[in-house]
Amino acid sequence: MSVIYVLLPVAVLMAMAFVALFVWATRTGQFDDVSTPPLRVLFDEEGANGAEKPEPATDGKDRT
Amino acid sequence: MTEGAPRTCAHCGLPVPAERVVDGADKLFCCSGCEAVYRVIGEAGLSRYYDLRAADLERVLEPASPSAATFSEFDDPEFLRLHASDAGGGKAVDLYLEGVHCAACVWLVEKLPDLVAGVRSVRLDFGRSVASIEWDPKVTKLSAVARTLDRFGYVPHPYRSATRRSLAKGEERSMLIRMGVAGAAAGNTMLMAVALYAGAEDDPTMAKFLRWMSLIVAVPAVAWAGQTFFRGALAGLRTRTLHMDVPVSVALITATSASVYSTVTGAGSVYFDSLSMLVFLLLVARWLQFRALRASADASELLFSLAPSRARVVDDAGAEREVAVDTLVAGQRVAIRAGESVPVDGVVHAGESRLDNALLTGESAPVEVREGDQVHAGALNVAARIVVRVTAAGENTRVGKLLAAVRAAQQRRAPIVQLADRIAVYFVAAVLALAALSAGLWWSHGWSVVVERFVSVLVVTCPCALGLATPLAVAHALGAAARHGIFVKGADTIEALAGISGVVFDKTGTLTEGRVVLTRFEGPPELRQEIAAIEAHSSHPYARAVVESMPTSLVADDVRDRAGGGVDGSVAGHRVSIGTLRFLRELGVQVSEAWERRAAHAAATEGSPVLVARDGSVCGLMTFGDPLRRESCAAVRALEGRGLSVSILSGDHPGVVARVAKELGVQDALGGVPPERKLELVDGWTSAGRNLAMVGDGVNDAAALAAARVGIAVRGGAEACLASADVFLTRPGVEPVVHLIDGARRTLRVVYRGLAISLVYNLIGASLALAGLIDPLAAAVLMPISSLTVVLSSMLSRPFRSRSRRDATQLVHAPEREVVACP
Repeated sequence: MSVIYVLLPVAVLMAMAFVALFVWATRTGQFDDVSTPPLRVLFDEEGANGAEKPEPATDGKDRT
Repeated sequence: MTEGAPRTCAHCGLPVPAERVVDGADKLFCCSGCEAVYRVIGEAGLSRYYDLRAADLERVLEPASPSAATFSEFDDPEFLRLHASDAGGGKAVDLYLEGVHCAACVWLVEKLPDLVAGVRSVRLDFGRSVASIEWDPKVTKLSAVARTLDRFGYVPHPYRSATRRSLAKGEERSMLIRMGVAGAAAGNTMLMAVALYAGAEDDPTMAKFLRWMSLIVAVPAVAWAGQTFFRGALAGLRTRTLHMDVPVSVALITATSASVYSTVTGAGSVYFDSLSMLVFLLLVARWLQFRALRASADASELLFSLAPSRARVVDDAGAEREVAVDTLVAGQRVAIRAGESVPVDGVVHAGESRLDNALLTGESAPVEVREGDQVHAGALNVAARIVVRVTAAGENTRVGKLLAAVRAAQQRRAPIVQLADRIAVYFVAAVLALAALSAGLWWSHGWSVVVERFVSVLVVTCPCALGLATPLAVAHALGAAARHGIFVKGADTIEALAGISGVVFDKTGTLTEGRVVLTRFEGPPELRQEIAAIEAHSSHPYARAVVESMPTSLVADDVRDRAGGGVDGSVAGHRVSIGTLRFLRELGVQVSEAWERRAAHAAATEGSPVLVARDGSVCGLMTFGDPLRRESCAAVRALEGRGLSVSILSGDHPGVVARVAKELGVQDALGGVPPERKLELVDGWTSAGRNLAMVGDGVNDAAALAAARVGIAVRGGAEACLASADVFLTRPGVEPVVHLIDGARRTLRVVYRGLAISLVYNLIGASLALAGLIDPLAAAVLMPISSLTVVLSSMLSRPFRSRSRRDATQLVHAPEREVVACP
């Protein structure tokens, strides 16, 4: 059980990394419009400006 | 295809009216707008649009209406300074697009870079109909981009100034980040807490380790993400208003400090998991509220970018130039083509035409104008090109003043304090009293016990479920309403709707069908064909109504459509004249007394009479009216049955309004009311304390809608009206109004239910805490259970469910007659 003393801090660090990614994604405007990207999935060819990949589903929650 | 089955427009899917059906044509269109857009799409090689469209069953059906404007004001440096921002070597701008209603539209609009050189990227936000366009000004002008969008049927309008846009975005993003951080903290501390509750407490080193880890994760998150509540509480204390942020902040600060102290000293309880969960859930509630507010703020902004902004100035040489309306001065001459809106108040300088003043007066019958007549901004020029000398432009026009009145009325509105916030005052007092009580009860047991009890009371009575109840119920209701074609703009609208005492209707378009129909014909049967042949040459709404009801194979020649109130021509060897009494007399036609009496009788009882003369003497009479919608009567009864008063306030002719009121059994009806007087009346009623909902569909109603407690705009209304109203109905008629009010009342019941549930939990929790039975585990369990119950209570409710089968069939099988007399 003493492995938890190592694993838990590592897990928490990973969680913080994900939170940082989430903050970055929000700041660069990826969550501004969540209603239109699902529609774009219907267009199976290249969008005019290069189809954008769907947003990562993570909101920073770490489920270790 | 069976004969007589309605053909649908190849572009928009709406039924094609009879006069536009061309036998043997490959594709049919409902209007020239749709036809034009169809060709443009085909020529650009983008026909895939129609495939994508077919896959989207939920799209809204609407005909295309490109405006054919030049958008040259978009290139104005002042405009660009205000609305555009710099982006990666080029410029970026947000434009609101009319006519976006399906996924295929997103596809089409985002193809813009392929169609216009110099456009780097286009992103369409479907929910708000806003296109974010990045383009290189050195390669192409913004007006060219706008014109392309317009040709495809998406008329662009400037959205909002660049600075305001970035401010709003920034706030939204901060909220989301705080929510995310709180959520991450909550999830992780809950995991660690489970370990503690499951027995890790027994191992002192492990317990210490887990507590410290929880502290490291929770404290920064709660302190940072919770700043919303701390700031709110400070603001509340400064203004001596108690709202929910105060008990939340007190609980957060006290419990966090106590938990930190316990961790450091190694003794006592820690509540980190409950605290982070609390912050997360409350932030979610706030975010739901914020989103609802943002949608309504967006819509109000829209109002002011939709006012007519362009005009064509004619100089002395006769050359035309497009300018922004704001730059016009009195004395200039402006040309207005058929199909365009009048952009200024003025006097006709040259030309003769008919104007549709429906926007201003609600009258569906066009008014003739000739040299010397006054015209107002907002009227639609129906027949021919006229040149108007400007007397007032921009904000000084009647319409401009109305829009300013709308803005003023909206600002005057007292915001409805949410019910939960009103409860908060008593709640705060009760919680603090309880906490003090618990301290007193356990005083004798020593300091640490007192602190424990105090903190547990605070944590358990924390208004988490209370804060969730209203926003959740309302957000769910708004979504449900939207699926039924009812778009409600704000959370407080629901509360306002449930509390209204009466509904005021504008006549056209809601109670009636809003169009002209031939209701009666008197005269020899063969006359009908001759009339139809002549009327086919006219674009007057009466003419269209005639042609719709009387198809003919006869052809008329020498038809003269006179602006003086009628039309005449030769057909089948006879000279036939159609028009008002005055018109026929001017032509020298013999009108016998009998016919005159019949015309007068028709005017008094049924509608607008039009006489028909053949070879110099009157032999026929047509009566035109605006038929009541079939379900209007039943719906009015339904509203009255729910304890609401029903009245009519219309700009239409008083005689017509009185007739409609009589048929519907409505006592309170006023006709001939100009927009300014409507506003005055509604304002008066609202200040007198009568909470009214007003239903309307034109700019002439916009100010009154803003002044009423709840403004409801109906489908097909002017964009300006939609932007100034609180609710927008996409289904025509009165029935959605009933649906809306029922839904609002049911939603409020759901809100009360949620509040009741959370209060019960708080009571139970408080009692247990007072008895000393609450430890961190119990608190951690009670909170999600209470929140979950409230969430389920809201999400499982169906406030806007379809009416029962019985109601639906009653409405469908109403008598087929156009005019329904109520039992």
